[in-house]
Amino acid sequence: MRTKLLTLFLLVAILITGCAPAATQAPVTEAPVVVTEAPVVEEPPTEEPVVATEAPVTEPPAAEPVTLKIYLLDYTADTITWLKEEINTEFEAMYPGVTVEITEGSWSGWDTTFAGFFAAGEGPDIINLGSEMNTLYGPSLADMEAYLGEAAWPDIANFGPALENAKFDGKLRGLPIFTAPRYVFCRTDLAVGSLPPANFADWITFAKENTIIDPATNSLTQQALVPVDAGSMADWQWWLLVFYSLGGELYEADGTPNFDSLEALATTQFMLDMRQATYGPATDAVGALPAGQGSVIDVNDATGANNGAVCLAHSGWAAPAFDRPIWENISIEPFYGDPANFPNSKPVVLAFNDWLAVADYSPNKELAAEWLKMAFSKDANHKWNETMSLIPSRNDAQFGYVTDSPQLKREAELASQYGVGFAGIAEAAKLSVIMQEALGKLITEELTPEEVVTQIQEQYIAALGE
Amino acid sequence: MTQNPYIDVLLNALLAVLFIIITSFGLGSLARYLAKWTGASKRKQESTFAGYLFASPWIVGFLIFVIIPLGYSLFWSFTDYRVTDNAPPNWIGLDNYAQLILKDTGFRSSIVNTLFLTSVGLPVMIAVALFLAVLLNQKTRGERLFRMAFYLPVILGFNTAVLLSWRLMLNTGTGIINQLIRALSTAFPPFSYLTRGIIFIQELISAFFLGISSGKYALFNRVLEAGLPAANRVPLWVESPLWSKMSVVLLMVWGCGAMMLIFLTGLNNIPRELHDAADVDGANDWQHFWKISFPLLTPYVFYNLVVGLIACLQIFEPIYVLYRDNQPLVPSAISMVYYLWQASFRNFEIGYGSAISWLVLLLILMVTAIQFMLQKRWVNYELY
Repeated sequence: MRTKLLTLFLLVAILITGCAPAATQAPVTEAPVVVTEAPVVEEPPTEEPVVATEAPVTEPPAAEPVTLKIYLLDYTADTITWLKEEINTEFEAMYPGVTVEITEGSWSGWDTTFAGFFAAGEGPDIINLGSEMNTLYGPSLADMEAYLGEAAWPDIANFGPALENAKFDGKLRGLPIFTAPRYVFCRTDLAVGSLPPANFADWITFAKENTIIDPATNSLTQQALVPVDAGSMADWQWWLLVFYSLGGELYEADGTPNFDSLEALATTQFMLDMRQATYGPATDAVGALPAGQGSVIDVNDATGANNGAVCLAHSGWAAPAFDRPIWENISIEPFYGDPANFPNSKPVVLAFNDWLAVADYSPNKELAAEWLKMAFSKDANHKWNETMSLIPSRNDAQFGYVTDSPQLKREAELASQYGVGFAGIAEAAKLSVIMQEALGKLITEELTPEEVVTQIQEQYIAALGE
Repeated sequence: MTQNPYIDVLLNALLAVLFIIITSFGLGSLARYLAKWTGASKRKQESTFAGYLFASPWIVGFLIFVIIPLGYSLFWSFTDYRVTDNAPPNWIGLDNYAQLILKDTGFRSSIVNTLFLTSVGLPVMIAVALFLAVLLNQKTRGERLFRMAFYLPVILGFNTAVLLSWRLMLNTGTGIINQLIRALSTAFPPFSYLTRGIIFIQELISAFFLGISSGKYALFNRVLEAGLPAANRVPLWVESPLWSKMSVVLLMVWGCGAMMLIFLTGLNNIPRELHDAADVDGANDWQHFWKISFPLLTPYVFYNLVVGLIACLQIFEPIYVLYRDNQPLVPSAISMVYYLWQASFRNFEIGYGSAISWLVLLLILMVTAIQFMLQKRWVNYELY
């Protein structure tokens, strides 16, 4: 029996080892690229700016077979098709031996996937990130200044404020695809009182006058303002938008959080006042608007009834589609803060964006930069966003469908005028948990506004200290 | 040569097979050598070799996929290791454990919430599963259809369609659950009082648990002062921190099909003669259940209790499904494992997350050991 088993083992082993060398070629194929890139990639741009700027130009196309891997999250089929058929095809023609491979993922579960890439130290060369993730992933992202900085790529000057979201420690880590600010959309045909409410007191009055509760179901049938989380009206991102509109700064000069500021307290009080003006006291336990189809400020085509919101503080994608007739009655405004009580108040649209970053573990940083330059050229950035009706991050790419659509044109104007980036938040994931916990207790009236800001300040300082 | 990912996968699989063969052969040889060393006969040595050779794929798999990760996890739990920091783990001794046990209020909340889900959800789950099993044990028309219907949630799990259905069903204003409560309250006024009483007690309990989490009882006092809710009050299922945990309990109960099947098996194993003898003695249905079926079902109850308790202490999925994109409600429903996931995969603090996982493991071991110690007092093994 032993002899038979041994013979079987040897046969299988010989068969498999015959195939094995091909499998071990994979890392070898990438090795020469690493070597050729090394002097440029590792060169600190501040030390040898001239070499760094020249490097991308002088670098010959990769001679060895290389796969440039890109991980994208939740893009439309049109976008992916366009990338594969036009950008990747052109890129592969320009760099013989290079294959561009796009993997499609989802924002649901992306964090677990990305943790795996960084823990293993290998994965896609280019990854898709959201606004506030520059601080979270920053240390693990490649410094791309040598390839994408102004000296190396003059086109970078055409990017709008969203570019700041693609930086960490002042160094570019990738490029922003689009900017998606949050506006205040209001139904002019439904609203009682003047639009837009221009300070906190006006908003409270507006909330009381424009909210309707059905006594039979003890639930809202019309909500004056639907912010990011309609039910709680106390989402941390909404809080930050209001805070910035008062002229609030998240950190002091020495990096200490500013949740003990007057602006923070006023913002928290405003959250509570708006919640109570809409839902009444917590013990009334009024139910939220029913979940419906389409935008919450649109009209239901089948019944002709309104979907429930008078104003919506959200990104453009939560508003009705641009071809909906309801747009005749919708205004688009920034959030104006409370100039009556805070002189530093300013109109704000909180700008979110998706961006593509190059991972530090990538052995193909230069190739990644070249692909980014191609996919983020003026026309490509325009085309990429056209497939999703979003505002391109490049200012010079905001033409055609952007200016042709009155809504997008208005949104783009507001973004460039009042855009504040949702970025640069240290320990953003922890801050969101800390704020949500405290704000959740604010709306149940478990904590007072003073206790909420104190708790956030203490816990956030502790989180930053860790 | 352009790389072909499919060939890569195939080659990796073949290499894995080769690895398994080599390690199996090695393990078998080692076992045979040890047998020889202990003076076993030639025949015994050969059978030892063969036995270990065939068992070793599982042994190797266990080593690679369980023991080695466990070792890493234990090591990381004593380190400050964050995968996104681009730095190796930094040894910090017991700091993670000290932080978790002594300072981390979030972890304390997660323990309290998990205890709520365990102490409220698990008994309800077992009771419903037992009730359904008893019902389905009757010879009725379409019993197989009902069995399948009640077991279906176990197969469906918590996919997107299920999530959407539950969200719609639990909607405060238009959801079918609250619509039913309203309709019944209107039709039978006593039901309205019953509902309001249940709402009041449930909100009081939830507020109390939230108070334990935060150390402040303002909400509890407020609910108490408000007294019996108004006549038009309905549960605010996935909308209020006072109802976030009960919504999870509902989902847990919905998935009790596996427990039900085990009870059904237990009911089928009870000898018919015992019931026949009870009939002769004039026992009614309740006496049949309480004096015969239930005592003989206690081993099955014990099994469901042990397995259910472990599952409850590790609960994650229903909370993730219901509140993943409803962040304001997460703190009021967060469980230990959700907290672990948050630390590991949102904050990427693998060291801290590992420490949480070891604490959860210790807690589960302790609770399970206590259960096994107490079983002698109430589990009846006479029939088995």
